[in-house]
Amino acid sequence: MAEKKTLKTVSPHLHEEGQTIERAMKDVLIALVPAAIAALIVYGMNVVYIFAVSMITAALSEIVMRKIFKRKVTLGDMSAMVTAVLFAFLLPPTTPLWVVAIGCFISVAIGKELFGGLGKNIFNPALFGRVAIMLSPLWIYTAKFPKPFFWKSVGFFTPISVGIDETVAGRVVYQTLAGNPVNVVTSATPLSLLKSGKMLTNVVTGPTPVGATWVTSSGKPSLGSLFLGTQAGSIGEISILALLIGAIYLLYKRTIDWRIPAGMIGMFFFIMLVTWNHPLYQLFSGGLVLGAFYMATDWTTSPVSKRAKWIYAFGIGLFVALIRLVSPLPEGVAIAILHWNVLTLLLDRYIAEPKFGQVKKSWFNKLPSYAKTAPAQEKS
Amino acid sequence: MSTKGYKTFKGGIHPPYFKELACGKPITPAPLPDEIRIPMSQHVGAPNEPLVSAGDRVEVGQKIGESQAFISAPVHSSVSGTVKSVEEITVFTGAKAKAVIITPDAEQPAFSGSPAKPVGDLTPEDLRKIARDAGLVGMGGAAFPTHVKLTPPKDKPIDTVIINACECEPFLTCDHRTMLERPEDLIEGLLLLMKAVEAKRGIIGIEANKMDAVELMQRKASGKAELSVEILDVKYPEGAEKQLIFALTGRKVPPGKLPSEVGCLVQNVGTAVALYEAATIGKPLYERVVTVTGNGVKTPSNFLVKVGTPVSTLIEAAGGLVEGTEKVIMGGPMTGWAQADLNAPVVKGTSGIVALTAELVDVREEHACVRCGKCVDVCPMFLMPNFIVDAVKKEEWGKAEMWGALDCFECGCCSYTCPAYIPHVEYVRKAKAEISALKK
Repeated sequence: MAEKKTLKTVSPHLHEEGQTIERAMKDVLIALVPAAIAALIVYGMNVVYIFAVSMITAALSEIVMRKIFKRKVTLGDMSAMVTAVLFAFLLPPTTPLWVVAIGCFISVAIGKELFGGLGKNIFNPALFGRVAIMLSPLWIYTAKFPKPFFWKSVGFFTPISVGIDETVAGRVVYQTLAGNPVNVVTSATPLSLLKSGKMLTNVVTGPTPVGATWVTSSGKPSLGSLFLGTQAGSIGEISILALLIGAIYLLYKRTIDWRIPAGMIGMFFFIMLVTWNHPLYQLFSGGLVLGAFYMATDWTTSPVSKRAKWIYAFGIGLFVALIRLVSPLPEGVAIAILHWNVLTLLLDRYIAEPKFGQVKKSWFNKLPSYAKTAPAQEKS
Repeated sequence: MSTKGYKTFKGGIHPPYFKELACGKPITPAPLPDEIRIPMSQHVGAPNEPLVSAGDRVEVGQKIGESQAFISAPVHSSVSGTVKSVEEITVFTGAKAKAVIITPDAEQPAFSGSPAKPVGDLTPEDLRKIARDAGLVGMGGAAFPTHVKLTPPKDKPIDTVIINACECEPFLTCDHRTMLERPEDLIEGLLLLMKAVEAKRGIIGIEANKMDAVELMQRKASGKAELSVEILDVKYPEGAEKQLIFALTGRKVPPGKLPSEVGCLVQNVGTAVALYEAATIGKPLYERVVTVTGNGVKTPSNFLVKVGTPVSTLIEAAGGLVEGTEKVIMGGPMTGWAQADLNAPVVKGTSGIVALTAELVDVREEHACVRCGKCVDVCPMFLMPNFIVDAVKKEEWGKAEMWGALDCFECGCCSYTCPAYIPHVEYVRKAKAEISALKK
């Protein structure tokens, strides 16, 4: 009995049950289910095909990259699946499947694995892939959004994607997998409608009751339809209700930190209010809610300390508002978050968190004097 | 029964406690082993030099090791017997230390001693001397010499003595049992501690999962206006010195400072009782209550154990290990030391022996930090455990200090909650060693 082998490890000897990377990633996937269902209802099976291609590409990309870099394949941690679903969420529902595959490869292989894998990446991988497509010649395939419930005219299960119209330069058409053109009505997103210069007052004071129809008399979606998800937009961003259900689950499970969505949405709301834009309409359209709860909160690419988290969150909210209000772009959540992903490292390094009982509270981290005078000790 | 809403601190964790395994078991004397091995260094500070050599006769309570250094505490023989040898042994931390090995007599006499003075006549100076001579150390685990704590700087008077009866480590019940079985001795010990530092106020802080002890102590302390019994949230590490002072008094001990900075003295239940015994019957600290528990032992128990008793004797006395036990820990499961074998002797700071089966052992390969920030959220010192680890990996010791490596008291909350299974404490210990070498 006494000769039995026992483990000799460092304290602590207990570990919180269920506190693993896999569990957290699975929680994110669970939280994304309502939004995926909303997308399925509004856009039909097209979104499922995109999910499938994205997930398969993500898995293959991770396996290939890990083999190349001779790292252990860790598909089991589910992080590639989260990236795959989030990347798909950022695409229009009619993105050609080969574009999905390229974008997802960029997300996982370059955005994550090339930086060193989960935990080492600087950018949110899904946003990285999405913006890479946006800045490439492939952008044309992801620039048009079909009208909600377009599947009613072409069939729920029919794969529809965007193709280039060979007859008119720069024009795109909708087509089936076989390349036959189909008639699908394109719709402007609420934000591009706003960008086109029409004032918002119609939405606020318009005669249409909330949620009654999908557009108000002025031709813009009503607040209610935005909230439920009958709006033109990327797969995952349309239903605010579905996103909030998932967000509540993640907040309850403490997978994400409430400070980031609160700071980001708070700052955005405030700016929209003082610039006399309708804050709720702005909040419910575009990718702000998706970005605030599922993208900006990404563990690896957001700051760790509480003060830095607030600065990061306010910064993203400010950037999104500025891009929407004063830049030529209709939407800027992805770009704003990627900007602050970079600043995350600086915030973590320099913004100080006061220690317990610290009397002289400083806002900035300072190296102890011996480390400064003996730079040889510091390898960085 | 609610365990929240009482006094507490910020941060920390809620591990499963498993107190029910042993909290109902009265303290019984542990069997006498064939061989007692008493390490010469059982405390923070300078190690002792042995005063005996092979072949010498020793009596129970006889001083067998001493040092001239101020931060040190003498050790005493826990049995009557013959010194077999003085040699190096492996202690619970895995380090080597000089120890006196004693073969105990078959018949052990009861301890007999006499107080230096009637208790009422003792001065603070007398009490400091008694604490030192009796070899008293903090019995919560850190084993800091008590007489040093009883000697605060002249310009920092102490007004409050706190008895740390939180026992926030899961599984352990030795302090709980001591309170239930020896409440008067604890109260008297607290009054002596207050006398030693001339404090006006005494607080006994107990976690809300020991309401029977709370009620008993409240009853015993009633009528003494200077004493109070406070209930604390059940949270780990409620019994960490700085966190406990904050929870009970609202005072914050600054980083790198001692509790005397804010006029407080914190002592463990066992230490207070040991001071009472030393002052009234002249008994040195050579035995203590040890909880032998965990789902890996057959009959969890609380034993009165003679210092120097090997772990194996106690495990046997508790019915032995169950099939599939993977870890045996000396101390609590959050800060204790996992044992490679069962030979290490119990020392003054050993509060428990916890055996865990595979069901509770969750050891995995360390993953790269995913920067989730959970360690930062739970850190009771508000440090950056993940960045300390990062700095240690890059051997940037200045940064490790900047992130708070020196302020860490190794409670282990960070690793407990880490989804990447990073052993932060291991890195922190490395950082502390390297930084202190750099500063020399």
